[in-house]
Amino acid sequence: MKAKRRVVTNSGGSTTAHRSSTLRRQRTSNALTSMGCKDSAVDMTTPRRGDATGRETVATADVDLSVDLGRGLVLPNPIMVASGTFGYGVEYGDVVDVDRLGGICCKGTTLRSRIGNPTPRVAETPGGMLNSIGLQNPGVDAVIAKYASTWEGWRVPVIVNVAGESVADYVEVVKRLDGIPGVAGIELNISCPNVGRGGLQFAIDADAAAGVTAAVRRATDLPLLVKLSPNVADIRPIARAIADAGADALTAINTLSGIAVGGSRQKPLLGNIYGGLSGPAIKPVALRIVYEVCQVVAIPVIAIGGITDIDDVLDFLAVGAVAVQVGTAIFADPTLPVRLVAELEGACRSGGFASYVPFVGTALPKRPSSPSSKGVEYRP
Amino acid sequence: MHLLGTELLEAREILPGQWLQTYHAPELATGSRAGQFVHVRTGDLSGLVLRRPFSIHTLDAATGTITIHFRTVGRGTEWFTHLRPGDNVDMLGPLGRPFEVDPRSQHLLLIAGGLGMAGVRALADEAIRAGRQVTLLFGAASARDVYPTSLLPDEVEYVVATDDGSMGHHGFVTDLLPRYEAWADQAFACGPEPMLQALARLAATRRSRMGVAKLGRKRGAGKGHAVGSPLARRKAFLQVSMEQRMGCAIGACLGCVVMATSGVPQRVCREGPVFASEEIDWEGAWGR
Repeated sequence: MKAKRRVVTNSGGSTTAHRSSTLRRQRTSNALTSMGCKDSAVDMTTPRRGDATGRETVATADVDLSVDLGRGLVLPNPIMVASGTFGYGVEYGDVVDVDRLGGICCKGTTLRSRIGNPTPRVAETPGGMLNSIGLQNPGVDAVIAKYASTWEGWRVPVIVNVAGESVADYVEVVKRLDGIPGVAGIELNISCPNVGRGGLQFAIDADAAAGVTAAVRRATDLPLLVKLSPNVADIRPIARAIADAGADALTAINTLSGIAVGGSRQKPLLGNIYGGLSGPAIKPVALRIVYEVCQVVAIPVIAIGGITDIDDVLDFLAVGAVAVQVGTAIFADPTLPVRLVAELEGACRSGGFASYVPFVGTALPKRPSSPSSKGVEYRP
Repeated sequence: MHLLGTELLEAREILPGQWLQTYHAPELATGSRAGQFVHVRTGDLSGLVLRRPFSIHTLDAATGTITIHFRTVGRGTEWFTHLRPGDNVDMLGPLGRPFEVDPRSQHLLLIAGGLGMAGVRALADEAIRAGRQVTLLFGAASARDVYPTSLLPDEVEYVVATDDGSMGHHGFVTDLLPRYEAWADQAFACGPEPMLQALARLAATRRSRMGVAKLGRKRGAGKGHAVGSPLARRKAFLQVSMEQRMGCAIGACLGCVVMATSGVPQRVCREGPVFASEEIDWEGAWGR
């Protein structure tokens, strides 16, 4: 049952990426038939059935952009918005039709409310920006009370980004989110670089990452995404450990740690000194990490890092991602994610594909590449 | 809030390094209020990933235009100075919450420090249209940075202070406040944070110093309303327009917060940029 290679190559194979996770989902949902939300999610997958034969379909056919991330989490399209850049989904309501997005990852949520880091919290840098928000949020209970009913009314799945200081924190937050209508999944943020104990300690060590993933896995049946940190020497053992611990999908990457210097040059600019770098500047790093991760795990990988146009999306699909998250670019262009959905559909249509699966993994090597990480040279 | 394509009609450098640009944006000209701002996108080729927030300096519903007033401080603002009339610019707005004038207030004291003029200028127009009296206290480093009188309505009493004494009062603009606070029903300020802080301290002790509360306000005036609510501002003697480095400008990224007395950081872009001075924690070390 376990697919050796998750990705689709251009050598004429079938849609293994989706097939493996679809099979996995069916098994899961058979085992857990009690939850109504899962059943409805299964219904949503039915249109996808035609995919296996869809590759030869001509341009006239409808393009199906849906993607199954496992455990019943089916996104209507692979363009998501990244945690921290889209609030709780309601903020951009005036200018964006959120229901046309593939998924929303909400602001990092912790057990108790957090006031976050001192200001300044953002700084623009060449081709990107630094942020050190510091996980400001009202706490999981307030988030549920305030937004869950809104999310429930949306077609777009809302994935709650969860952060914590300890394994117990993560487990408790996830337990409270479990079973809440409107919460479609969990994105485990074990990689926030801006908080002393923001979970980054979990992301830089394979055992710790596996430990927290496994603990959360035991606590919930919600689809579980785990967000990887680029601030490590070699991502692959960590990605493998998280996948083996029961994550349904991986998100790569979180921000890179960096600093900026203030106007008077007497001290670093950000109130927190360190911030996380995002934006087009980090796209090559994100591509590299997605490329590496996709070769070692069999679960879906969601790419994030510097996406500003459809070419960036196709680049990430080519190195094996099955979905992407748009983040920093939303600040300049709030309508970008929705436009990318249309442009991806257009790309499929002009290629004569019934889904975007043929774009996935085309740039991956035929056999696992030699170690691309040579140790400390990647250390930030 | 809209995402709008606007057209630059006119740009001129009114002071060394300070620009006034007029944009054709009917939705903003009719749908905005004094104190609100726009988030403007820089060109794609500039390599800048963030928009730039600008206060709506003036707005003219009749011609469908707004103006923004800014100083060139970096590559982003520099980019705007290269725009030519006819160029299109992408604006998100109107954003933030406006100044709230109590209907009973007849004497408005506006206090601007340097580029803070951009934040309070529209309120002068709005107040004069409503038949109120406006005194504008303006502070700048020296005479060369003083906002031109010709750009202000005739009805405004304009009082200038310069740090080097080259024009008007020799000293800070905050020195002028005691002379006007008895006259003023409400005060509205925008400028550097130390200036706002000094004003807030004066405002906080105003009742005890002057022995009377204006407007017949009851005990606890300005308190008891949710932070950022229009009522909290309307009841306050001093309203301040805050500045902070901004990311999304619509409340999603939590980049532009200021600490409130409630202990919860408030978003300048959403709960602000105009706050009642009592709402801000001026004394705390957080973020300073």
